[in-house]
Amino acid sequence: MEFKLEAHRIVSISLGKIYNSRVQRGGIKLHKNLLVSLVLRSARQVYLSDPCQGGLCLGGPGAGGPSQPQPPPPPQQQQQQQLPGEPAPGWGDPLPRDSSMEQDPEPALATLEPPALPPGLGKRQMEGSPPVRAEAVPEAPRRRVEATETERSGCSGAGGGGEGAPEGPPRARHCCCRRFCCSPPGTPRADCGCRPRSDEGAPQPPPVCPRKRSAAGVGVGPAGCQASGGSPVKKPRRDSEEQPGEEEEMETGNVANLITIFGSSFSGLLRKTPVGGREDEDGEEEEEEEEPQRGPEAAEPGPMYCDKPVLRNLNPWSTAIVAF
Amino acid sequence: WKCPDETVHGSKADIISTVEFNHTGELLATGDKGGRVVIFQREQESKNQLHRRGEYNVYSTFQSHEPEFDYLKSLEIEEKINKIRWLPQQNAAYFLLSTNDKTVKLWKVSERDKRPEGYNLKDEDGRLRDPATITTLRVPVLRPMDLMVEATPRRVFANAHTYHINSISVNSDYETYMSADDLRINLWNFEITNQSFNIVDIKPANMEELTEVITAAEFHPLHCNTFVYSSSKGTIRLCDMRASALCDRHTKFFEEPEDPSNRSFFSEIISSISDVKFSHSGRYIMTRDYLTVKVWDLNMENRPIETYQVHDYLRSKLCSLYENDCIFDKFECVWNGSDSVIMTGSYNNFFRMFDRNTKRDVTLEASRENSKPRAILKPRKVCVGGKRRKDEISVDSLDFSKKILHTAWHPSENIIAVAATNNLYIFQDKVN
Repeated sequence: MEFKLEAHRIVSISLGKIYNSRVQRGGIKLHKNLLVSLVLRSARQVYLSDPCQGGLCLGGPGAGGPSQPQPPPPPQQQQQQQLPGEPAPGWGDPLPRDSSMEQDPEPALATLEPPALPPGLGKRQMEGSPPVRAEAVPEAPRRRVEATETERSGCSGAGGGGEGAPEGPPRARHCCCRRFCCSPPGTPRADCGCRPRSDEGAPQPPPVCPRKRSAAGVGVGPAGCQASGGSPVKKPRRDSEEQPGEEEEMETGNVANLITIFGSSFSGLLRKTPVGGREDEDGEEEEEEEEPQRGPEAAEPGPMYCDKPVLRNLNPWSTAIVAF
Repeated sequence: WKCPDETVHGSKADIISTVEFNHTGELLATGDKGGRVVIFQREQESKNQLHRRGEYNVYSTFQSHEPEFDYLKSLEIEEKINKIRWLPQQNAAYFLLSTNDKTVKLWKVSERDKRPEGYNLKDEDGRLRDPATITTLRVPVLRPMDLMVEATPRRVFANAHTYHINSISVNSDYETYMSADDLRINLWNFEITNQSFNIVDIKPANMEELTEVITAAEFHPLHCNTFVYSSSKGTIRLCDMRASALCDRHTKFFEEPEDPSNRSFFSEIISSISDVKFSHSGRYIMTRDYLTVKVWDLNMENRPIETYQVHDYLRSKLCSLYENDCIFDKFECVWNGSDSVIMTGSYNNFFRMFDRNTKRDVTLEASRENSKPRAILKPRKVCVGGKRRKDEISVDSLDFSKKILHTAWHPSENIIAVAATNNLYIFQDKVN
């Protein structure tokens, strides 16, 4: 529990630093913001992987698993690294939490237990993603954590990613602009005011709202919802980016957007399975970088997170949100 | 270590951001946050005062960089001098490179102690004479005048860096130098200002894949084709410019495996290398990360040959240091002339020296109270345990606003320059 609070605090501090870096003299420092983003990612992973969230400490310290290579260890990741068939003690405990936090019946943590996964979700969803994610898998020790998250979120994202048309998710991401305007069906773009991205092409179906609705009611949807927890984070960043091919600028412009990103997507962060895997390889360096083509794996619309039942459970993050 | 007379030079206005001796040690240059360069010159020892070693007095002061504004990107460019590097002296004038975040400048510092007098067309005040009044002609002659030191910018190397310049290094061929920013390293010829060669580019095609940046770079002191650069991931790459035009593929890769028992939220930050320096011999490189200094043998890539703990008592305080931004402080490190001692700074105006041969280390403090002229510096000690001895200082009493990031060591003598915020301390070692 302590390290969850610590992680929360570190996330708040890190966001503050990124915010302040926008106004400091001399421009945004790439090195410092890269380091802050690494810390932010680590803290966020710890926070999200900690079963004791929202005040319901169900798993207890034992849920973390016996051998923990890094303090504080993300329990889910730890488990992922172990044999798939061996859930850590207390593994079933987080389930009630998830169902209480989400309106979707399907427990998100089912993705954390490979045996419990629906067929097809047990596999690493890397295949469904563009090479970007696949490359992240076999990387250095530090990436190990992200890889397992990819597994998790990829599993959950498979439901969403698989069902949606390939162009759906990108479009959804596109429309999921920083304010997460819940655009009425068919006009996501207009309401969001997002800058159209030429690389995604014009003829995209508007999957945002239909997906949202389906997510609310259907079992498969929630998995997608969870996975898309990450996509809104990426999206606004991408929207604010210059189009590729422009004169090169120091690409730290998105730091400015990070606060709004986190301000509006905390509900996504709270969903246990972080990110649709996209963040795995990048961590929070997103605030500094351009976002190119996103694979279809993680694209869930952001507006989903405006749901009230979810927002009610955002108390731990309220201070951070208020701050920004 | 002693403090000779008048060795504390302070400007209340600005924080010193770089310190560098020239190749003979006769001159000491400092750059500050206000874009100014102050050069000190060592007084020649006189026979009458054998007991007095040469002191350093102000020789020249000039404004190297001014604040700029990039209108296209709506960015203010700081005038802070990030690095100064001297060129070896080849004639009567001195040359140095100074850089801020974006622009490198070559400055010529020269003395003038004569001036011409006896012009025909102007009088001594400089006013033009009416040619009709001139009846005779004379040849102007040079007459002695008060010594004047003037600094003139001879070259401006601009518009080559998108990111912030962190290092410059003069090549041993004395014809080229390199400048490094977060993602790229450029090679310049001193004579050519409108173009440079890009020799390292680690910018990924997809910036989201960015995982590390370049933190420091330096040319080998003897081999003009070799240089190293350090990264924010704690690695060092040695590159050979003969291998290819673009040195993205390293010749050697120095990395120490991470100790898993030390992992924390801040492991990545504290492993980021803040400075890298070749030894004078060219056989070793020294790197500084947040808590340690490491010496690497160029022939062994898998781990350093020596690791020195600078202030390991901070390891348990990383979260607080992250909050107050101290964890991002970039400490530099220096070799002494014979590569037997290394020095680096710490907090509370402490700086540390490590003797590589005797394995002894000492902590000294740069402060006005302790630095009366001729006073001998007393070794300091930080108490980490429970019981604090009389002269020790506890970790919690350390002043983290007083940090020594920049130090320099005379190339051949035991004279050190220590920059403590906006004060410069010069200490000499009295062997006798």
